[in-house]
Amino acid sequence: MRKVKFTQTNFHEKLSTIIEEFPRLDDIHPFYGDLLHVLYNKDHYKLALGQINTARNLISKIAKDYVKLLKYGDSLYRCKALKVAALGRMCTVTKRIGPSLAYLDQIRQHMARLPSIDPNTRTILICGYPNVGKSSFINKITRADVDVQPYAFTTKSLFVGHTDYKYLRYQVIDTPGILDRPFEDRNIIEMCSITALAHLRAAVLFFLDISGSCGYTIAQQSALFHSIKSLFMNKPLIIVCNKTDLQSLEGISEDDKNLVEEMKSEAMKTLIGQGGEPREGAEVLLTMSTLTEQGVIAVKNAACERLLDQRVEIKMKSKKINDCLNRFHVAVPKPRDQKERPPCIPQAVLEAKAKEAEKEKKRLEKDIEEENGGAGVYSASLKKHYLLAHDEWKEDNMPEILDGHNVYDFVDPDILQRLEELEKEEGLLQDQEDDEVEMDVEDLTPQQQKELAEIRKKKSLLIREHRIKKSTAESRPIVPRKFDKDKRFTSERMGRQLSSLGLDPSKAIERVRSKSRGRKRDRSTDHDMDVDNDGSNKKMRARSLSRSRSRPPTNELVPGEGFKDSAQKIKAFKLGKKSVQKRNKDAKKGVDDDHDLRRGWPVMTEVWMNVGGIKKIRVYDFESYFLFGRFHVCFILVSCYTFLNLWIFSDNYEMIFGFISQSSGVLSFSCLLFFLVKFELHKYESHFKLQARLQPNMKWALQNRRKT
Amino acid sequence: MRLEKCWFCSSTIYPGHGIQFVRNDAKIFRFCRSKCHKNFKMKRNPRKVKWTKAYRRLHGKDMTQDATFEFERKRNRPERYDRNLTENTLKAIKTIDKVRFRREETHHKNRMKGKVAKERKEARKELDQQIHMLVAPGAMVKDTFAAKVTVKVQHESTDENRMEE
Repeated sequence: MRKVKFTQTNFHEKLSTIIEEFPRLDDIHPFYGDLLHVLYNKDHYKLALGQINTARNLISKIAKDYVKLLKYGDSLYRCKALKVAALGRMCTVTKRIGPSLAYLDQIRQHMARLPSIDPNTRTILICGYPNVGKSSFINKITRADVDVQPYAFTTKSLFVGHTDYKYLRYQVIDTPGILDRPFEDRNIIEMCSITALAHLRAAVLFFLDISGSCGYTIAQQSALFHSIKSLFMNKPLIIVCNKTDLQSLEGISEDDKNLVEEMKSEAMKTLIGQGGEPREGAEVLLTMSTLTEQGVIAVKNAACERLLDQRVEIKMKSKKINDCLNRFHVAVPKPRDQKERPPCIPQAVLEAKAKEAEKEKKRLEKDIEEENGGAGVYSASLKKHYLLAHDEWKEDNMPEILDGHNVYDFVDPDILQRLEELEKEEGLLQDQEDDEVEMDVEDLTPQQQKELAEIRKKKSLLIREHRIKKSTAESRPIVPRKFDKDKRFTSERMGRQLSSLGLDPSKAIERVRSKSRGRKRDRSTDHDMDVDNDGSNKKMRARSLSRSRSRPPTNELVPGEGFKDSAQKIKAFKLGKKSVQKRNKDAKKGVDDDHDLRRGWPVMTEVWMNVGGIKKIRVYDFESYFLFGRFHVCFILVSCYTFLNLWIFSDNYEMIFGFISQSSGVLSFSCLLFFLVKFELHKYESHFKLQARLQPNMKWALQNRRKT
Repeated sequence: MRLEKCWFCSSTIYPGHGIQFVRNDAKIFRFCRSKCHKNFKMKRNPRKVKWTKAYRRLHGKDMTQDATFEFERKRNRPERYDRNLTENTLKAIKTIDKVRFRREETHHKNRMKGKVAKERKEARKELDQQIHMLVAPGAMVKDTFAAKVTVKVQHESTDENRMEE
């Protein structure tokens, strides 16, 4: 029940608002009423509103009935059904008035966009044929931005603009053009302007196109004038001849002039009818051109003046004026004596006023630009008004830069004078310079120069060698000179160097040779020619290349190497080098090489030998094995024998001597055995194939071991 | 359009080159190329960087004070254009350049004045002292001695020779 009532009240409210908000055509100003009638048919409008009203009533009735029924509903289902029915009926009613609601909505939107015209205030109305220049006129005097186009009926509805005159605001209404047709044939647009003309109490400006460029002759226009002159009753009328830039008023033909005169006389009638003093006809007929803006202001002023006068007249005649008149009082000074005191205008002002009258319009830059082709084509010379000593200099382009200097930095009025001083100074300096500088020290002779060059070359060579040695010194083993690969320490070389120094090397070589034997192998075979200086330089240069050029520098981080950053990599390299350094110095082959050169004891070394395939057998270094074994065996044997003998023959001295001799014999025998085996060892050497690829350092170490 | 000077190396910056840096105290630093810019960012003092003009002037390698530098000064008062003055100025720029160049040359020459003599002296000294790299002192002495001694008794000279060897 509540729901039904609620729905009903909603509908009622909404519909009521619609009905109330829409204006009643009889209640509003007749101008608006007529305008609305013109735009949207009055009957249609009323019908729509009426429909809505009936719908509202219907809904109320429905609601009332169903509420009554609901009161006596026996079951919930019935109540629900009743409710549904009530709502349904209300909805159907609303659906039926749907089209009129849409119509009213359209009207509402259009009405909202109608211009706000106050029918009671000062208004100027502009009318005339299409395309005579009404909209351009309104654009000129007000801030309205009405479309101005070459085709007729550009203005389709009324437009309002506001302009000021004598500190009063005037409404200016632009109407669409009117054609000369019987009243019944007029379309909506023309009816708009007719309505405005009929209802608004305004000054009327009838526009006339003298040049005929609107497409209609003066005859047609005057015919229109006569047909609507009934609408001009009681309104100040001014006939405005527009487009005088194309055709002046004097230049038109006789017939046209007559027609214009007729119109003027009609207009005069309205003037006289107004009740003012009959003035000159100039007030009624005015010429202007909206394009050149000649006479536009005059027209506006005239229209405003006429309207103002009329309104004042009317006000004066009405009763209300008495109330106003009481309020203000114009104070006039009482004349003291008969002396005339005209207002004092200074001479300058009078002269200025006179000048202004004859002053012509100044030619602006804008005009020059327009003359020469417009904005894109003509560019004004900004240097035109420069104040220079000579006028030819005005268009000069001064250079700003010369030879890497800014010219503006040098510009100086006294530059010539200073330049002269500079030149004088320069002259003096040059004279002083011409004294020769003496050379105390003489140059070296060519021979001396050659020697010096050689000295320097040798020195640089030494330095280079030293630098290379220095860099590798920490991890290079110290090899005695006997085992040098490059053969830098041969006696031949020494001899050559000494002879190049100018000494006789023969004695030195002899001495050297007598002190050393050299290696057996070296003694037997011939030496190759020593590589001379340049070659060794080349070798050293080749070796001094610490890395190949195709690889990145060693400290750079390469992604696949497993280092966190380059610092870690550097550290790793350093540690590696450090661990190898000591071993290299000791001339060791690798980590497992633990021969001890200093002590010289033979060391047991295990060597794994690959005997065909996977199997490896452990072979002891035979030399050490044998040596050790031999030594121990002998020692044990001898000691046992001596002890035995001593024990057996301890008390018999002759036997001791005999034992001693025996023991010596045994000792000698064992020594003999020892040496025999030793010398046969080299037979077994090749058999066991253990020393295939030992470095010369290693070979030397092993041989050294054997010696001690 | 103005040609500016690079803040770091003092070379001219032509239009379209270099970078300008404006600091928060509104001081503008102009650089002619990224080399100068990067050096600036590293906070290097141009007076200590050998190839800059600032260093060279400070250490007396290039001319510092001269009348020709007075001609080129940034003037803030604009002068009214005068064609004759401009012509004279343009000609003057060229002569001033020539004069300055000549003076720089003399400065350089004065700087290098004693160099040749010094070099020759050093060369002579080196030749005297380092001659042992070419010829052994024994050989040289032997020559001199030989020259003198041959006049004397024969066997004495031979003894001396043997001892030297």
